[in-house]
Amino acid sequence: MFIRSVQRRDDLDAFRQEVRDFCRTEMPPEVRRKQGRGEHLERDEYDAWMKCLGSKGWLTGKWPKEHGGLGWEPERFLVFEEELGRASAPPIITFGTALAGPVIYSFGTSEQRLAYLGDIARNRTWWCQGYSEPGAGSDLASLKTRAVRDGDHYIVNGQKIWTSYAHWADMMFALVRTNPDVKKQEGISFLLIDMKTPGITVRPIIGITLDHHLNEVFLENVRVPVANLIGEENKGWTYAKFVLANERIHGISVTKFEAYLAKIRRLLQVTRENGRPLAETATFQRRMAELEVSFATVKALMADQLAAARTSGAPPMMGAAALKLRGTELQQAILQTGVDILGRHGLAYQSDALHTGWNGDLIGPQESPGLIYEHLYRRAASVYSGSSEVQRNILAKGVLGL
Amino acid sequence: MPSFSTDERELLQDSLETFFSEQYGFERWHERARGNALGFGADMWRSYAELGWLGVALPETAGGAGGGLTELAIVMAASGRHIALEPLLATIVLGAGAIELAGNQQQRESLLPQVAAGETLLAFCHGEPDAGYARHHVQSIARASGDGYVVDSVKSFALGAHAADMLIVSARLESENGPVALFLVPRDAAGLALTAAPALDGRMGAAVAMTSVHLPAAARLGDESDKSDVIDRLLDRGAIAVCAEACGAMAAATVATVEYLKMRQQFGQPLSTFQVLQHRLVDMTLASEEARAIVHAALEALDSDAADAQRAVWLAKVQTARSARFVGTQSIQLHGGMGMTDELAIGHFYKRLSLCETLFGDSDWYLSQLGMAHGGVAAD
Repeated sequence: MFIRSVQRRDDLDAFRQEVRDFCRTEMPPEVRRKQGRGEHLERDEYDAWMKCLGSKGWLTGKWPKEHGGLGWEPERFLVFEEELGRASAPPIITFGTALAGPVIYSFGTSEQRLAYLGDIARNRTWWCQGYSEPGAGSDLASLKTRAVRDGDHYIVNGQKIWTSYAHWADMMFALVRTNPDVKKQEGISFLLIDMKTPGITVRPIIGITLDHHLNEVFLENVRVPVANLIGEENKGWTYAKFVLANERIHGISVTKFEAYLAKIRRLLQVTRENGRPLAETATFQRRMAELEVSFATVKALMADQLAAARTSGAPPMMGAAALKLRGTELQQAILQTGVDILGRHGLAYQSDALHTGWNGDLIGPQESPGLIYEHLYRRAASVYSGSSEVQRNILAKGVLGL
Repeated sequence: MPSFSTDERELLQDSLETFFSEQYGFERWHERARGNALGFGADMWRSYAELGWLGVALPETAGGAGGGLTELAIVMAASGRHIALEPLLATIVLGAGAIELAGNQQQRESLLPQVAAGETLLAFCHGEPDAGYARHHVQSIARASGDGYVVDSVKSFALGAHAADMLIVSARLESENGPVALFLVPRDAAGLALTAAPALDGRMGAAVAMTSVHLPAAARLGDESDKSDVIDRLLDRGAIAVCAEACGAMAAATVATVEYLKMRQQFGQPLSTFQVLQHRLVDMTLASEEARAIVHAALEALDSDAADAQRAVWLAKVQTARSARFVGTQSIQLHGGMGMTDELAIGHFYKRLSLCETLFGDSDWYLSQLGMAHGGVAAD
């Protein structure tokens, strides 16, 4: 079909205003300041903000009402995201709300729903994702972390890697191998693991950003109650794919792009070449126009995929793969433009300036450390939650039937 | 310009490779980079001096080996291949270059032997906050005072400035329209403030502010005539030096990536067996070789004082920046998560290449300069 009808919505203005007012009154000034400069927030700062959103039910606005959500349609969620972005609100760490929660209410038992969903919605528990392993990256299904049944427990042994915020997490949702003798996708189970269980060791990985948010997680004879198994044993891969599709859609945030672009526009004003603002140079006028075209295209693709999902029930993996691929490319292109501007200031990278309490002298524009951090960190955007190569494979199979 | 014979160049490359392979393993990189305030190995610097590399492009009368820019480029390429941290660019390319091109006989004779011997670290502090990559936007001012000058200046972040014994600072004489002069400024001069910081690639540098710094007349390099031409030539030297460094880093990053994909198993086979990845590795190799070829061409033009030498450097800088961006980003991409860690060398190659891309002007800037030369239209 050449044209898919996109639903027009003009009944969301009141909601938009409500979110805007909420951000203005509820967001602590210190958090606003840090966000403006791209400084790191402490766990407590994230936690307070997410609890604040949780108190309105907004953290899980998209969840169905029967599971404690507000049943938001995609358009309402986009308005919510846009306003959070405009207010420079901290990003919502979505391992609980967008990944663990939906799996639990879709495939979990009523006991599991009762045990976890309320705490996720109020951000009383922090979650992390135990998927990748040293030997299982793009080939995730080859994972080896072993779970062996022992009465009413599983004994889990193995290692997870690239686990974001594992050092802050209370719970991990993990893929484990429960049957090594069948096709690799058919011997995987989905477990919820309490991070305080004896036998779990979290070791930091320092990134090229020089920051710690990734970890290795070692599991040694970790006893996990069978009650923490999601759905059926050996059906975990089905649930995992569901999470991955969600993760890919969530990774693309239009508001984040808008926030980057706003920073870059300011940088173009404050950075001069031969005494003139870069914003007045033909080179950067053209580059900004190129980014604008790509951004408009990604937004249009997103709206189109939403419309497709609504009308034809198209499989979400297709739209997710396309958006992840193009969204990632755009994100990296925007950030590279920022760094190209900062090259004119000599490309100092004062990563310490991103930490609470730093009081050194900043070299170059105030956005500099935060933007370089983000640029370095987002080199991983074409690697994490399914590399760009994997997304192309998904599209080749799923769309072209190859 | 003098230069080495082919045999001598091969000897130089061999000695660099032997030294770096034996003495400069990546396993000690973090300690060298972060274990002290210099951000590099003082012991390594002494070795460079003993091996004759600091004076490779200096005249024999200054204790050098009498080589040219090609020999300097060979040293820089090795520095890129091993992501060396020492301030070669700041001291032996820019600093010594400024003294050689602008200094009087007395300055050359006293300072260049110190550089060759590894006794003096230099830095070239020319770029200013409002200049961007423009080469002659100098707002620093040096006013005559007594038998010397009083200098006020703000300079952008420059690699190696944090450790330099002597900074070479550009400033206009008397007024904003005055001729540009270059001054030797000792690091302990009253009124000089250095803000040290790491660059994106982990090497250290500093931003410089000078407030009413008194300098003797003898601190001025050479006479009072405008030194814009010298600065132009220096920046071209800097540009080709970082191109050579990028070539070394690209070659090493490409080899490391090929090796990694041969070793890394996914879907029951080495990643190197996937055609899409094979093609990527081929493109990285090509990009790396293209850069090396055009950098070589520019070096030939420079060392033979060809009329179009500057243009050759600018073409090389654009192509090297293109190649560096592709090779750098793909090195990380193909290493997956491992490429994102501080622990592995590959991320450091990426960062070094990012610096090489931008130093002395990025591809956008040189393209607009080259474009202007074609159309004669003043664009940026």
